[in-house]
Amino acid sequence: MTDATITPSQPINRRSAFRYFLAQLNASTWIGIVIVVSLVLAAFFAPQLATHDPAHQNIMDQLAEPGSKFWLGADQYGRDIWSRIVYGARYSLTIGFFAILTALVVGTLIGMIAGYVGGRIDIIFMQVMDVVLAFPSLILGLALVALMGATLSNIVIAIAFTATPAFARIARAGVITQRDREYVQACQAMGFSGPRILFRHIMPAILPEVMVMASLWMATAVRTEASLAFIGLGLAPPTPTWGGMVRDGFDNILSSFHLALVPSLAILLLVLAFNLIGDGLRDAIDPRLKDAS
Amino acid sequence: MMHFKFPRALALAAILAGSALATLPAMAAKTELTLGAAAADIGNLDPHYSASTTDRTLVAWIFGGLVRFAPGTTDPARIEPDLAESWESSPDKLVWTFKLRKGVQFHHGYGEVTAEDVVFSLQKAADPERSAFATDYASFDKIEAVDPYTVRVTLKNAIPSVLGPLANYAGGFIISKKAYEERAETFSRRPVGFGPFQLDSIEPGVAVHFTAHKDYFRGTPKLTKVTYRFLNAAAARDLAFLAGEVDAATGLADPNWLKRTLAADGTTVDIFDPAELTVLHINTKKAPFDDIKVRRALAYAVDPSRIATYRGTEFTRVGKSVIPSNNLGYTEDNGHVEFDAEKAKALLAEAGYPDGITVKMISSQLPSYESSNQILQAQLQEAGFKLELQPVEHATWHQMIRQDLSPLVTYGAARFPVADVYLSQFFHSNSAIGSPAAVTNFSHCDVADKQIEAARVETDPEKQLQLWQEAQRLILEAVCGIPVTETSGVWARRKTLDWGFDFQGSMSLGPLVTELTHFTE
Repeated sequence: MTDATITPSQPINRRSAFRYFLAQLNASTWIGIVIVVSLVLAAFFAPQLATHDPAHQNIMDQLAEPGSKFWLGADQYGRDIWSRIVYGARYSLTIGFFAILTALVVGTLIGMIAGYVGGRIDIIFMQVMDVVLAFPSLILGLALVALMGATLSNIVIAIAFTATPAFARIARAGVITQRDREYVQACQAMGFSGPRILFRHIMPAILPEVMVMASLWMATAVRTEASLAFIGLGLAPPTPTWGGMVRDGFDNILSSFHLALVPSLAILLLVLAFNLIGDGLRDAIDPRLKDAS
Repeated sequence: MMHFKFPRALALAAILAGSALATLPAMAAKTELTLGAAAADIGNLDPHYSASTTDRTLVAWIFGGLVRFAPGTTDPARIEPDLAESWESSPDKLVWTFKLRKGVQFHHGYGEVTAEDVVFSLQKAADPERSAFATDYASFDKIEAVDPYTVRVTLKNAIPSVLGPLANYAGGFIISKKAYEERAETFSRRPVGFGPFQLDSIEPGVAVHFTAHKDYFRGTPKLTKVTYRFLNAAAARDLAFLAGEVDAATGLADPNWLKRTLAADGTTVDIFDPAELTVLHINTKKAPFDDIKVRRALAYAVDPSRIATYRGTEFTRVGKSVIPSNNLGYTEDNGHVEFDAEKAKALLAEAGYPDGITVKMISSQLPSYESSNQILQAQLQEAGFKLELQPVEHATWHQMIRQDLSPLVTYGAARFPVADVYLSQFFHSNSAIGSPAAVTNFSHCDVADKQIEAARVETDPEKQLQLWQEAQRLILEAVCGIPVTETSGVWARRKTLDWGFDFQGSMSLGPLVTELTHFTE
């Protein structure tokens, strides 16, 4: 607990603060980070890692067993599953990342304004968020994608929409606890403008919690995207998405279960990794929660 | 005392065992049939609008016609009496008189079927405002009730098959006039016919429940209940079948599926006619396909043999004309082209698309369509067509393609096996999407109208065949559609289920359940 001797009265060196933060991360968080980084690298280097064109069909190879030609077998159209998995990582990660980034920016902004301004703005903003929050994220995502069409940007928007209220709620709660603190009052006494106080002074204080939320919601976003693809509302074929691969594999699950199993494991791995990271970050940022658990 | 007791106890046991054995078969044979279908829901059970495989399958149990295809066949030569017990025609074949069976009862207490119901039904079937099959009755002049048990049909001109449009198929189904008038718009979900099974209830997206029509004129059905379950996901359907939850289920035209299903104990597979012909219909009125060169390029870009191999030759063969091969009037001498990616690219370049072209297609998520379209997508890519698929649920797809929303439509269908029907519904301008009598002319084809119409009234069979063949040549020349494959129907069945007939074919595209259908144990 020597780290606990760091107090706000001491000058905080950013590098040492980061090191302190890293030291707080437990082993399972590191496992999560390693998995995510590996998958990001796989997605980035998909053209180098793939052994086949992920959309290339060869009917003669349909339902091929895993082996030297097809490391993880081939699907019902004779497409290489390994190549589709590494390309599929691109879509899962891209959609997850941009959906949560959008939700983070929009949600945090809404929550901060609602929390800082208060009054009628607060009531209106948060009630709208409550309405959105009332829908299960998959159902809401499904409705939006069905309405707008299943394109990459629409899926990002749909998932972002479902995740926004969570960020709004957490940002608002953070702002409310901060806004009556002395440093905020000092800022106000010095005549700083509302936006300046909000974004330069309050935001850094609430950001860690928002980041924890983001990493946990990344898992949800990946899962939602896979679920949408599984029910046929994912990116149109022949785009390799993990959820779509599970869907395709389902027709032959009784004889070639690896078709659905491999992409399912990929989804499992990515969701698990984001959850590990989210949990680890939460523990590192708010040790009280760790003790409580 | 023991001396007497033992034989008496033995006798009692023997009697009990004997009576139990005697009743055993009757007790054990199931009387409730459950089918698992590759469908998400029903569409429209007004038989004159029933277009999807599911709707057609179900209306064939609910309704009957004046005549019927012998159960298990699709052969027009084996049409036999149904409601009509006999019929005769005038020497010029223009006036047909049908004698109706007496005492035939409608479902749900709607009373006896009379000539009035027949006239009402056929007039409705011929009315484009109240039927999707009105074009089949273009040559019908008058339909009259001579007396309660006699119907007279007068034709404007002699037609290839009079019994065809009067059979238990499409517009030929007889509905209860009283029920139709009483139930109005709800008739499509509360149909009343005189077939062996009456509709009991519909659980949307789950199942349709039927009970036996006890007063069915051929005798009370052996089955008491039939449940038609919607199991759209192939794996779920297979599992339900293998677990014994359903007694028969829609199969997949897929060799792997066949191998897997036949390997299971006590199961068999019915492969039946008519083979549905899948045609890639091209909207000839909208860019880029209003340019014949682009359409020709597309024709060279499609390789049906690969799709046939994928589907398995047990079920699927290459389509070689724009009408099914079992149709009277079919010809392969029609100028259809073989796959040639290079020619396709050259034609595309000539049409002003040297770098290829991107086209959109709304695609049904029904597994058979989904897989065909994905294979098609890969083939077209090789020839410079980037096909963007927009997958939608099957019922939605049916609606969307009827609103001209997809420039390309892959559509699998089988119709009454005389060229006139398929040609009229898919390639005559009267049937064009958006027109008042719109049926399924997705391409807005109008190049063979003259031949189709002339063939319809041609009395010389030889000339009639020539006209139909010329129509096919013209349609293929204008590339209104590209024939892809012909695929037979396939259902898995428990061996203990006896359809009651030799199941070689079904005009309704699904198994016919008749009064004779039963379980052997």
